Amino acid sequence: MYLELIIFLTLLAFGYGFGRYAEKKHYRSIIAREKELNNIPAIATKHAPVSGQQHDSNLVMGSVVISIDYFKRFAASLRTLIGGRVTSYETLLDRARREAILRMKEDALSQGGDIIFNIKFETSSIFKGKKNTVGSVEVLAYGTALILKQGAH
Amino acid sequence: MALPSFLSKELIKLEYSNPEIPEGINTSKEHPLKEFLLLVAGVLSSIAILILLLVLLSDFIVGYIPFSWEKKLSAPFTSTEKSIKHTDNTTLINNYLQKMAARITVAQNLPEDMTIKIHYLDRPSVNAFATLGGNVFFFRGLLEKLPNENALAMVMAHEIAHIKFRHPIQSLGRGVLAGLALSIVSSSAGDAIMENFISEAGILTILKFNRDMERDSDKAALGSLVSIYGHIKGADDLFLVLQQENKNSEPYEFFSTHPLTENRISNIRNQSRQSAASETTSITPLPNDFKRWLQSEKSEPDSGSDETDPAEINI
Repeated sequence: MYLELIIFLTLLAFGYGFGRYAEKKHYRSIIAREKELNNIPAIATKHAPVSGQQHDSNLVMGSVVISIDYFKRFAASLRTLIGGRVTSYETLLDRARREAILRMKEDALSQGGDIIFNIKFETSSIFKGKKNTVGSVEVLAYGTALILKQGAH
Repeated sequence: MALPSFLSKELIKLEYSNPEIPEGINTSKEHPLKEFLLLVAGVLSSIAILILLLVLLSDFIVGYIPFSWEKKLSAPFTSTEKSIKHTDNTTLINNYLQKMAARITVAQNLPEDMTIKIHYLDRPSVNAFATLGGNVFFFRGLLEKLPNENALAMVMAHEIAHIKFRHPIQSLGRGVLAGLALSIVSSSAGDAIMENFISEAGILTILKFNRDMERDSDKAALGSLVSIYGHIKGADDLFLVLQQENKNSEPYEFFSTHPLTENRISNIRNQSRQSAASETTSITPLPNDFKRWLQSEKSEPDSGSDETDPAEINI
């Protein structure tokens, strides 16, 4: 019983420590890169904001897989008993969505894109742990990037 | 809203920009540990309250079960006991223990129908337990280690007090009701970690009630010693034996079915200090032949299993 308790508390502490460190680091990187890539707007309109004489349109996408940690999972399962906002998953998905957009923008940038429209998200939990617990989450962002044709000005 | 194609790329960007979104809209600004601690405290106290209510309910229901039902329930035990071939020594020890039980039964004012049946088991475990239907079991291992009759009377009075307070059937009822509820709740939690967490929390709560039972029985047992010997000297010898036996392996009280042996000893010593007569009184020795009666006639290995039935209550 002691051993179980010690293992449990250690896992919880490790989960919290590493998870929190990774999350803070990730948020710092997300905020910095969002500023950097702000010159490529990503918008959700269905139709191209310009008619395509001067632009090519290309599919761009970014996807990310983030695993939850022991602490987050435990905090979330406590929530399942009581109900309410699962805040430990909220930050996870927030990070995943923003990271996916950033990667999509990086994809667009590498192709010389100016703007991405009709962006969409797909979210899925990619592995189910024991008893269908969420292991990690994948967020895919994709859209259509407009790339200025060579010589068109 | 398609823009005319002659618009320059700068203009497009002007129209469509991604403003910097302030942090904390999609996430909570609260520190995760604060929320976590609140959740843990909330869930733990709900489990404790649930168990408390179930224990009270179970004790209430058990109160309506007559002792004669218990006897019937335990009948299969006693019938198998009879089939064991008794040797002379076993008969002697059984008679001695049964006589002592009779004295304690009187001292504890047991109701008429509450009869105590002592069983001697020729096994090396240092243990004794009370179970349904007034059956009390003594292992050779324990009897061999007891230094005097007072210590033996203490064990027996403790076990008989369990029977008097109907702890075995209460314990069975709690095990069934609270145990069932715990397993239902934990298995519907949907998560392996959570399942463990809930059942451990529940078990720790039940243990608290177990320790209360032990304290009550200790108290009643000391009362019987006073009425039989006029003092409680020697009662702590029992716990010294147990302490020696469980050296280094006793868990913290919080994780244990019993109060810490150390606390039980100091409890007895406090009580004997209060009664001034204790210095002049003497300890009653065990019968001269006691050790000879205990000599094992078969070298049967201990069954080794520590698993106990919820209705079996140890010292």
